Amino acid sequence: MHEEMKDKRTSLMAGRRRFLQGAAWMSGAVATGLGSWIIGPKWANSAAAAIKVGIATDLTGPIAYVGNATANVANMVAKDINGAGGILGRPIQLFIVDTASTESVAVANVRRLIQRDMVDVVLGGITSSMRNAIKDVIVTRGKTLYIYPEQYEGKECTPYLFCTGPTPAQQCDQIIPWLIKNGGKRFALPSANYVWPRVLNKYARELIEKNGGEVIFEEYYPLDQVEYSATVNNIMTNHVEVVFNTIIAPGVGPFFKRLHQAGFGKRRGRLACVYYDENALNLNAPNEIEGLASCLDYYRAVTAQDAGSARIQTEYDKQFPGKILFSGAATGMYRGLKLWEVAVKEAGNLDREYVAAALDHAEISEGPGGSAEMVPGRRHCRMNMYTAVVKNGDFEIVARSTGLVDPREC
Amino acid sequence: MLEIALLAVFAAAPMMLPDYLTIFVTRVLILALLALSFDLVWGYSGIMSFGQALFFGGAGYGVALLARDLEITSIFIVLPAALAIGLTLSLAIGTFLLLGRSPPATIFVALGTLTGSYVADRLARDWYYLGGQNGIPSIPPMTAGGYVFAEGRVYYYLTLSVLAILYLVCRFVVRSQFGLALAGVREHEARMAFFGYKVQQLKLIVFSLAGAIAGLAGGLYAFHEGFVWPDILGAALSTQIALYALLGGVGTLIGPVIGVIVIEILGFWLADGFPRLWPMILGLLLLLVVLFSPTGLIGLVVSPRERVGRFGRSPLPYRHADEGADDAAA
Amino acid sequence: MDSALNATFEVLSFAAIVVLVVLGLGIIAGMMGIFNLAHGEFVLLGAYSTYLVYSLGLPVWLGMVAAPFAVAAVGLVLERLVIRRFYAVPVVAMLGTYALGLIIREGVRSLIGGRYLSVPEPIGGSLTVGGAQLSCWRLAIVIITTAVMLASYLLLTRTSFGLRVRAALENPSLARVSGISTNAIYAATFTFGAALGGLAGALIVPVFSLFADLGIRFLILGFLAIMVGGIGTFQGSVAGAGAVGVLSAALPWALPPVLADVMIFVLAIVFVKFQPRGLIAGRRL
Repeated sequence: MHEEMKDKRTSLMAGRRRFLQGAAWMSGAVATGLGSWIIGPKWANSAAAAIKVGIATDLTGPIAYVGNATANVANMVAKDINGAGGILGRPIQLFIVDTASTESVAVANVRRLIQRDMVDVVLGGITSSMRNAIKDVIVTRGKTLYIYPEQYEGKECTPYLFCTGPTPAQQCDQIIPWLIKNGGKRFALPSANYVWPRVLNKYARELIEKNGGEVIFEEYYPLDQVEYSATVNNIMTNHVEVVFNTIIAPGVGPFFKRLHQAGFGKRRGRLACVYYDENALNLNAPNEIEGLASCLDYYRAVTAQDAGSARIQTEYDKQFPGKILFSGAATGMYRGLKLWEVAVKEAGNLDREYVAAALDHAEISEGPGGSAEMVPGRRHCRMNMYTAVVKNGDFEIVARSTGLVDPREC
Repeated sequence: MLEIALLAVFAAAPMMLPDYLTIFVTRVLILALLALSFDLVWGYSGIMSFGQALFFGGAGYGVALLARDLEITSIFIVLPAALAIGLTLSLAIGTFLLLGRSPPATIFVALGTLTGSYVADRLARDWYYLGGQNGIPSIPPMTAGGYVFAEGRVYYYLTLSVLAILYLVCRFVVRSQFGLALAGVREHEARMAFFGYKVQQLKLIVFSLAGAIAGLAGGLYAFHEGFVWPDILGAALSTQIALYALLGGVGTLIGPVIGVIVIEILGFWLADGFPRLWPMILGLLLLLVVLFSPTGLIGLVVSPRERVGRFGRSPLPYRHADEGADDAAA
Repeated sequence: MDSALNATFEVLSFAAIVVLVVLGLGIIAGMMGIFNLAHGEFVLLGAYSTYLVYSLGLPVWLGMVAAPFAVAAVGLVLERLVIRRFYAVPVVAMLGTYALGLIIREGVRSLIGGRYLSVPEPIGGSLTVGGAQLSCWRLAIVIITTAVMLASYLLLTRTSFGLRVRAALENPSLARVSGISTNAIYAATFTFGAALGGLAGALIVPVFSLFADLGIRFLILGFLAIMVGGIGTFQGSVAGAGAVGVLSAALPWALPPVLADVMIFVLAIVFVKFQPRGLIAGRRL
């Protein structure tokens, strides 16, 4: 009976302690100001010695669902790291600012991160134009390390700027041969009119032609175009077999719907869209995207094959139940933070030169999609790539890269 | 009085503010210059131009191309070039929209300029030479001989001086005979035409002047921010500036300047405190100002009598009880 | 041959969509001289209410029936609280609608988490006519739009309410003097315009999916349509919307997308420059 009572008391106390910790954390956050988001560390006196990490991402605006996912991941990883004792015995403190999909707002907020909050590293930026806007402020004028965690078109070779998201080579090298085998040789490249599709298409075209395929047409549309009847007509009348799509929201939903209505799927046509992740599954009804092929560094289905991924996914779902999903859009943030953690531990201090030198060859054994390692001298990251196909509204992995794929950049 | 006070405050500001805030205020001042150009056309001449961003962004892109392709960054070339680009563009657009057999209606000019802005935005977005969606990044800083105008105090004072000078120019124009004619055009165009004033040409002149000012602001902006992108050409910025100016209080020159400053600073502060909700809060505040002080923020501070160069009634076509007497006073 | 049929149908159905959206905007603009910068957001609200109903597990068509009423209610509230103070100063009213639009748009954005959401159409599938595949739902939109247009036209020309509305439109002071309560008419008109916008949003959400910036694109097209069609008459709005809609849908078939995007605006402005009263001479622009 004493045992029971002790158990009950311990569990009560544990519950109360957890509640108090939570309340203390929240009031700490509130007290330190409705200012930038700060994750207060658990240690009482260590606020002065905290390592400051700046996160600049779209908390509002059209791609807020990506930005919020990366912010959540950052929170999760920070809590993880602090729970394990921090880095070099110091806790890390996150400073999260909104880049609002507006470059001028972003630049002002990031400048504040650098000058007022004096962060030791900045992770973030989603679109390439955002990255271009804030990189000068961080790297050149701010003399701070910058880690860019999203899939993009490559060709970013600025010193002290490290990229942890997939590049065109990583996304195309595996999927194009697969598409030729499982779709056909006649390709169409309908694209959104900005830099990522243009560079991706150039790389894809070479690969398509090298593998015996041909590109029937390649067209670029304004980003907010939602009417694609002319394009769909073009695809159907020219007997295109594979649609390698880089149109993004809001156009992609209506485009796929129209394509489906015109009978593309019925004719055994193959849809391909390398950026398609779990977030995009909401854009269309399952029957409209049946058989769509995508190539990313992570899908939820990967958790069946990789224990590390499973742990991360479960952890995320527990901490952030709701509509902001953990998907390929946020994996780069995880990778970036963990690689940086490894680098700081190796460097032994926070000096930019030493951390950059260590980050240059950093490796992590566990991450979403498996392990990852930086390519020395290139500031880009090797990772596992998976080709997945949409079946009944969910992704099914059909191919996995043999080993880590080279980004082939810089 | 108000203007001198403001000038003093802004002249002293960089001494007291940390660097990143000085840079922020510099950007705000450049936008205030843009708002000033809007006030010149709308507040004083009754031309509702929803396209000031076209001249702003056009000049911005122009000098960015100069810097990128021809490697010209000397202040003695790029700022006049910005002015010239703004002037040319506004002359062209103005000629099309404002001249003609019969004078155009306000809404036509409004929508016409909005369209111009929108079209420029789309063209810039689609044209790869201009950088497409991403714009032109990493513009080298402005120079003068060997001296480099970096962001910070120096650029701040440069901008403040330009703003002050152009403000005085506008003030002079507005108080001159030309300004009187403009006010007449604003009040009753047909009557002015009957008097023999060439109404269309008057409007074109002031439109071009405002376009030139907007262009100059664009040049300053390009070198300050270090990059240009399609949003600075587009309808969103045009409408935003019109909004800020209207909220500050048009027809007063200082009103729009105040409007821009207050709203931008408010937005910045709100974004710091409410990372997710700030656009909504800003919208709510704008709505409140519209509801309770339709003559703008300036209406809260300054009585209608003190408005600069105001001849006749307020540009808002409704009557205040006390404004009948102002006709003689101004 | 199929291409031509396809193209014609697509162009017609998009034009119908534009007409539906613009009808509400045109009525408000013609009646009160206020360009409702929040009209795009009325469309958005219509789309959002439809999505809400659907996400509660109810059939989509129910949401589509409910949407116009929901948005009409919102419109009425806004009109009473904000818009009606500024009838004498349309410019400030425009400002007010801009602020309102901003609030609504950002509000919806945070409610849907900034995502893009799909809503299934009540009548799915396609009809095969000739060699062309015509989407059933788009056909339905064309039919519904025509019906709504006819109904509105009949309302305006054959009922005494419509008579009063047209009187207030043509000569407000005379109307007031004749005992017509212009305030009530204005409120009714604004509400009606909002309802039309809501209906448009509800009908188009299966085609274009729900996202916070859905309304903006249509707003710009809407203003062009009003300019081209002529302010002040019902037929004007319809004609303008039809012209703009047809052009907007047809140009991408003939021109590269970049050019097509821009041409519609340039053509509209040039047209209005030389024909300031618009297609159907209403009040002079």
